[in-house]
Amino acid sequence: MTLWIQISSGSEKPIYVQLVEQVSEAIARGALSAGDRLPAVRALAAELVINPNTVARAYTILEQNGLVTTKTGSGTFVSDPRLRRGDAAQINLLAGRMDTVITRGLNLGLGRAALVALFEERLKKFMGGSDKGSAGND
Amino acid sequence: MTEIVLETTGLTKYYGGRLAVDHLDLKVPRGCICGFLGRNGAGKTTVIKMLLGLLEPTAGSARLLGCDAAALTPSVRQRIGYVTEGHRLFRWMHIGRLEAFQKAFYPKQWDGRFFADMIEYFGLSTKQKIKDLSNGQRAQVSLALALAPNPELLIMDDPTLGLDAAIRRQFLEGMIELITRQGRTVLFSSHILGDVERVADRLVVIDKGVLRADCSLEQFRTSIRKVVVHFEHAAPAEVGLEGVVHCRRGEKQLELTLVGTGDAEIAAYAGQAAATRYDFVEINLEDQFIEFTAPPNHRRLFQWEEK
Amino acid sequence: MRFLALVRKELRECLPWLLLAGLLLLVAGAWMLRYEAEYVQEKLAQPPRLAPGSAVIHAYRLTRPHLLGGPAKWLCVLAPGLGLALGIRHFWMPLYTRTWSFLLHRSVSRLTILLAKCAAAVAAFVVSLGVVWTVLYWYARRPDVFVIPASARELVVGWIYIALGLVVYLATALSALSTARWYTTRIFGLLLAGLATIIVLSQWNLGRVAVLLVLTLLVLASQTVAAFLDREF
Repeated sequence: MTLWIQISSGSEKPIYVQLVEQVSEAIARGALSAGDRLPAVRALAAELVINPNTVARAYTILEQNGLVTTKTGSGTFVSDPRLRRGDAAQINLLAGRMDTVITRGLNLGLGRAALVALFEERLKKFMGGSDKGSAGND
Repeated sequence: MTEIVLETTGLTKYYGGRLAVDHLDLKVPRGCICGFLGRNGAGKTTVIKMLLGLLEPTAGSARLLGCDAAALTPSVRQRIGYVTEGHRLFRWMHIGRLEAFQKAFYPKQWDGRFFADMIEYFGLSTKQKIKDLSNGQRAQVSLALALAPNPELLIMDDPTLGLDAAIRRQFLEGMIELITRQGRTVLFSSHILGDVERVADRLVVIDKGVLRADCSLEQFRTSIRKVVVHFEHAAPAEVGLEGVVHCRRGEKQLELTLVGTGDAEIAAYAGQAAATRYDFVEINLEDQFIEFTAPPNHRRLFQWEEK
Repeated sequence: MRFLALVRKELRECLPWLLLAGLLLLVAGAWMLRYEAEYVQEKLAQPPRLAPGSAVIHAYRLTRPHLLGGPAKWLCVLAPGLGLALGIRHFWMPLYTRTWSFLLHRSVSRLTILLAKCAAAVAAFVVSLGVVWTVLYWYARRPDVFVIPASARELVVGWIYIALGLVVYLATALSALSTARWYTTRIFGLLLAGLATIIVLSQWNLGRVAVLLVLTLLVLASQTVAAFLDREF
């Protein structure tokens, strides 16, 4: 398991958001599998030179999103994909983001088929051409 | 309720007729890294010197670790680390002698191994004289001297002013290293917002001697926002929305910078002004800070209690 | 432990001046005494003349004050000079190098920091000028070198000059610490020191001079303490 995190300060995205996104992406790509242990809060804070509370906050959000679970004393682990279920609000948010992409695509002149093909191509590239990742069993 | 390690009550300082610090009320809880921001000449060094008993307040008071700042007892001073503005040290001493001097005042807490490791890490030698060091190296020695006694409260006055990125990073590493130990608190003033964003969890903003913000970094970040409001026809001349600090007018849109305005109020305004839509624009901390401290006509105070 | 660390640091800062003053006094004093000793020996070797008044002149030449002749004049300049140099080093230089903030953040009371500086200054005076003067006095007492040895008064006068040096030290300290305008407290100390110098040099009754010096020292010391404790850095 390798987890490379790159934090940039001075970005529009708050640091905890960057952390959440990068860990989420790592889980989605399959770089982190279910049961993998995330770095300890203090260790990651020291390595990235950021406040430990920021790391803790990011881990809390990841837990709220269902991507990780924290066992007191042991650490934070990537959760079982079968147990992850987005709630209606989160899925709505996702749908809204998809709308943005669709709008863009249609405005660029891409037809429906082209959009779907583009989506599949990116999905395939993202998941490394394998079945790893948090696609779940649906 | 977290213990407050540093608090000021109506802290005021007049220099002759000039008001340098105006009735500051701030509270810093234990265990946080507090970034102390303000433009040049805003009064940061004056406040810090009053906190350390180097200047006497004209009015008001400050308490550090439960002790009156104007009369810090030796035992309390022993728990406080201080990195002075400009890192001024005794020029004639070499690093080893300076270590021996500093060590004498922290007999039980001095971590000699830690100091030696830091000096080695910085590529310095204990035989080097302070006067032969560059500004950056002097800053490094200053940092090592302040951290080796393992202070409960570390106060740093613009520690990275004029230093290169590598040394600034070392200071941040030092702060993080300290904060991971139990119950430590750091207060540091800075102009480098990127550094503050990385390590601080609280922000204190002072502008022309007046406290403008004393809140968590996240609260600050989420309260200063830009929103672009689109209109079908021309954008209105008047903006009836509270918290607007900056307004940029396009042909059919308004770009508003808002401070402390809630989502509901924005939505209400958009509906009322017959806007077609509105989008939030993310801005970084530096832009937020500039917007927050720039306008002369909106002097609001940000202060939230931690729940 | 902490007090010693402070004194050690302050003394080390005085070292060049301390050594310079002591060395100058030693060299000048020794040379003068040696010259005088040689003169005495030479005069003794000559048979006595009986020209009118010559015996009186001889006697005068043999009994004149040894230390008060030349070396005391050196001490009279070196002691205030050392006081000025130390006062500048201890109180003006930190303003210039901006190291007060660092020094004052010590786990001791502010008064302790001031006392350490003063203790170092006293030690500097004693170790350099005091010891040298006493050595010169011991030499001037040797009956095989000088027909009539130096009197205790000469030793005391030297120490009075050294006390004067301390007066100048405190006056310099006060001028650095006082934040009043120049025409009030800032030069008050210096004026007082100047006055004391004049009176001392006139070599009035020694007892009165000593009392005056003690009083001056007490006044300056209390002023310095008050100024230091109140001052903003």
